[in-house]
Amino acid sequence: MKNASRSIIALSSTAMALPGIALSDAPPTQSTVSYKLSNYQEDDLSRSEAPIGELERYEIDVHQFQLVSPLGRNMSLHVDANYESLSGASPWFTSRSLDGEPVVNLSGPSGIWDRRAELSVGSRFYLENGSFAGKIGYSEENDYSAFSFGLNGEKNYNNDLTTVSVGLSYSSDQIFPTDAALFNRVIEDDKQSTSVFFSVSQVINQVSSFQSALSITEQSGFLSDPYKLRDIRPDNKTQIAWSNSYRRFFVSTNAALHANYRYYHDDFGVNSHTSDLSWYQNLGRTLQLVPTLRYYNQSAANFFTNVDNFLNPISEYQSSDYRLSTFGAVSGSLSVIADMGSWTATLTAERYLADDKYSAFEVSKPSTALVKYNRISLGIDFRF
Amino acid sequence: MRQLRATLLLSICSLMLISCAEVKAWERGYLAREEMAWDPNSLESSLNDHIFFSKEASSGGNSTAGGGCGCN
Amino acid sequence: MNFKQKSKILVLLTLAAVSASAWAVEEGDTAPVFDLPSIYSESPAISTASLAGKTVYIDFWASWCAPCLTSLPLYNDMYNKYKDQGLEIVAINVDNPIEDGLDFLLDTPLDFLIPTDPDGEAAELFEVIGMPTSYLINPDGTVTLVHMGFRSGDIEMIEEAIQSSLAGN
Repeated sequence: MKNASRSIIALSSTAMALPGIALSDAPPTQSTVSYKLSNYQEDDLSRSEAPIGELERYEIDVHQFQLVSPLGRNMSLHVDANYESLSGASPWFTSRSLDGEPVVNLSGPSGIWDRRAELSVGSRFYLENGSFAGKIGYSEENDYSAFSFGLNGEKNYNNDLTTVSVGLSYSSDQIFPTDAALFNRVIEDDKQSTSVFFSVSQVINQVSSFQSALSITEQSGFLSDPYKLRDIRPDNKTQIAWSNSYRRFFVSTNAALHANYRYYHDDFGVNSHTSDLSWYQNLGRTLQLVPTLRYYNQSAANFFTNVDNFLNPISEYQSSDYRLSTFGAVSGSLSVIADMGSWTATLTAERYLADDKYSAFEVSKPSTALVKYNRISLGIDFRF
Repeated sequence: MRQLRATLLLSICSLMLISCAEVKAWERGYLAREEMAWDPNSLESSLNDHIFFSKEASSGGNSTAGGGCGCN
Repeated sequence: MNFKQKSKILVLLTLAAVSASAWAVEEGDTAPVFDLPSIYSESPAISTASLAGKTVYIDFWASWCAPCLTSLPLYNDMYNKYKDQGLEIVAINVDNPIEDGLDFLLDTPLDFLIPTDPDGEAAELFEVIGMPTSYLINPDGTVTLVHMGFRSGDIEMIEEAIQSSLAGN
């Protein structure tokens, strides 16, 4: 049996990403084709965390392709295609051990696999003092399909020192869990998501800039996890995220600092703070070294329980999904980038550790199934 | 028109509690560097966005949600 | 920053804005005069005086400006095509440090005049508000075309304007 959908990484690219700073009005002058191969591997659980059953969690291989090219005089074309394959197991239900501690039980025998393919196509139209863009996407896997579209526009003020951007996106998803009848899961259901964002970017001086962005998303439909034995969530969710970003170039050091902070809140009760710092150190004209540190903190959803209670009525919301618990996560990564003129290679290694001990919020119900993983990626860009 | 622009620039900066300089078009060399972009490596950031989205409860902030994530 | 400091800045910005607008170079204006060193230390300085009586195409560029880099080889072809008819191209490089501009020229040699303007003095005179910006100047010193940015298809339009200027219009 599979617990695939939630854990397969969705990679629809942020081709709607906000513009660069100095020359935001210009369409690209060259085409760029990119490919990135990644391997993601979660740490096994320990026997004390999962007394019976499977210990090995997810391993995922990801292939990302992207093409960005000029289209005529005033437009650009963006194509993203992603393919990933997953094997492993994920939490099926939680219970109490003989010591009274919460423990987790991973889904069935290993050999679980799933594959996901996604394609999105977008285009940007450049005017004199701004641009607007549209994108549509489709993704499909064994138990999930989704169609999405997005629109955004941006306008520059103060000789391009200030940029205001707005966007809207919509996604319509179908869920059809595998082995549904066998395990008494929902046979088929759907979910819709609508999102708007607004952001302002401002150049501060010759070496620094700042951006603040707000996004509001409304989801409705089937929001629960169909692969968990008992997971009942509300059929709508409103979430708000406020991101702030700072960029600063250090001339004497020949390096750039990226500092980001995001506050998130939703009506499931989750609040989170995400901070990350990256240092882009140039070494000569060809190499760049980028260490990154990230610290993430979230508080639990109102209906989170670290031990499933099967005696609760089905009308009551409940989930033991570790992703809805109170925890903190620390991660670090290092990228090495080699720029050889018309092509660039990027090698990245990342280690991520989630633990309720890292949480700045008070933990009343720690989850046993928090994840630790390694990720390694190799990417190539070619400009022509 | 330029007076309005200058006032607007000052207002936005004041709102952001930072003092801003009028950076001329020819002075934007450092800002144009690839490492000064909001998102210098878009495949890396979209990969990260979605790993974090599927392992944590938060998402969004600096762009609209892409579609098609089977990760609730 | 207190209110007094903020008002002072507002006043200064307003004054700067008002005085700056007096210098904006538009089509029909007389081109500003300048005298700049060449980006090549061994080459002579480049001044408007030495270009008098010719059709001059002035372009402000930098190594960090992608559309600029796309346009320069196209301008080179155009220069070689029309130089015998009296066309001068002056590509003013605003890179600071100057080495960034020189590095680009090592890979892409260009045949026309390339002054260096690292402090933006000439750029300020021409009131450049976007990169790249180019100006076509008639032999009598009048600006006949101001063009901001560089997109595919622009070179044809610029060539037409140059032909027109060379034909004595």
